[in-house]
Amino acid sequence: MDHGKQNILVTGGGSGIARASAKRMAQSMHVLVADKNADGATQTVQEIEAEGGSATAITVDVSDPVSVKEMCKQITRDFGEIHKAFFAAGIFIRGVVGEISEEDWDNMMAVHVRGTFLCCQAVLPAMQKARRGAIVNMSSDFAVMAVPAAAAYTAAKAAIYSLTKTLALEFAPYGIRINALGPGPIDTPILKSGRTTEEWRDALKSFGENLPIGRVGKPEEVAAVLDFLLSDRSSYMTGQIIHPNGGQLMW
Amino acid sequence: METIIVTGAGSGIGFALTERLLAENFRVSAWDTTEGALQNIQNDALTFHSLDVRDYNGMVDAVADAASGAQNIAGVATCAAIYRATPFLELTLKDWEEHFSINLKGTLFTCQAVLPRLLEQGSGSIVMFSSSIARRGALNSSAYAATKGGILGLMRALALDHARAGIRANAISPGIADTPMPRQVMSETDLFDRGEDIPLGRIGTPIDMVEAAMFLLSKDASFVTGQDIRVNGGAGLF
Repeated sequence: MDHGKQNILVTGGGSGIARASAKRMAQSMHVLVADKNADGATQTVQEIEAEGGSATAITVDVSDPVSVKEMCKQITRDFGEIHKAFFAAGIFIRGVVGEISEEDWDNMMAVHVRGTFLCCQAVLPAMQKARRGAIVNMSSDFAVMAVPAAAAYTAAKAAIYSLTKTLALEFAPYGIRINALGPGPIDTPILKSGRTTEEWRDALKSFGENLPIGRVGKPEEVAAVLDFLLSDRSSYMTGQIIHPNGGQLMW
Repeated sequence: METIIVTGAGSGIGFALTERLLAENFRVSAWDTTEGALQNIQNDALTFHSLDVRDYNGMVDAVADAASGAQNIAGVATCAAIYRATPFLELTLKDWEEHFSINLKGTLFTCQAVLPRLLEQGSGSIVMFSSSIARRGALNSSAYAATKGGILGLMRALALDHARAGIRANAISPGIADTPMPRQVMSETDLFDRGEDIPLGRIGTPIDMVEAAMFLLSKDASFVTGQDIRVNGGAGLF
């Protein structure tokens, strides 16, 4: 299908920051909205189409190599080159180290670390051949700063940041840029997870009060930074992490 | 039309930023000790102030001029700096203090001159130019490195102090770039040869830095404060 636009693949695009990012990028690109949750991805596509953009929903389990390969094959067949990618599929599991089950740990690493690795590995050969491309991986402030009861998450996000830097070095000679986003507290389902609406209202307030800027961020504010990192505006940046975090971490 | 104040606007990155801002319909209050390349620009939106960033009172007057007629000052970019290569043991107090008074105190005083106006508005974006040398060091550059490291500390403290007031402060740390500054210590050929050691295969350009500054000045960076954006082609990833 020739839609006359460049393609961007957004994993985890069925909710949160990745959904807002898919919508932002849809202002200029065709968006492949990939998510494990088909309904979420479809919802994002509908929102994009309602705003006059074009997008396609894809179901994927980023931790499964077969699923990731199949996704890329399907995109390449139906839409051609994957010009840009935002790998943002993620999960969050709370718990102090003593209470993290092996299964939870493995899940966390599978979705974040293996998922980012598999997705990068799947799209990079074609980018290498085309000698162009830009990828942004979703890390977190927690890649750098410690936080209690989130050891698996912080370790996974640190791994993504580290992977991003190594990939940046390996693929810079081909003109491919790979950077990371390190958001602070953003009003998203992943941060809300496990809280009732009322608890969430209180949590948003207290998260906000603890930030220098005095409020929690909006997904659209992260999407705006993503847009910068994927555009030619950052053509001399690779291996970097930008933190849209309201000043939570100044690093 | 919003106003941006640019220090060090007469050459290098400050000049390139001034050009871009004018092209994007900002008013620019351009400060430098000499007009330099600015004298070739014919644009009513450009106001040049012959200013040394060590002259606090002069800067206060320039801010008043930029804000006259209730003009909104959207931000300030501090590009003014000097660089002189000197071996560590030959560094004199005079050298050290000149670097500090221009690069670091100059940045502080620029911000102090502008901040009352930004606080009055309840908004504003401050962009300070640091350098990759702040983190990585460079041969014979101890005074410069110390001032650029100081800028990162100043930036973070300023960001914290004024975040609730709607002021954002961030830094840009360029790697080696095609500007007059490195030409003081290396030949044209050596300058461009440095690109071979940089992952993206080239030295930076003023435009690369301008793009980062435009991003930080824009609403795209509304949740970004206290950060250092490293525009270095992937050199020295840590």
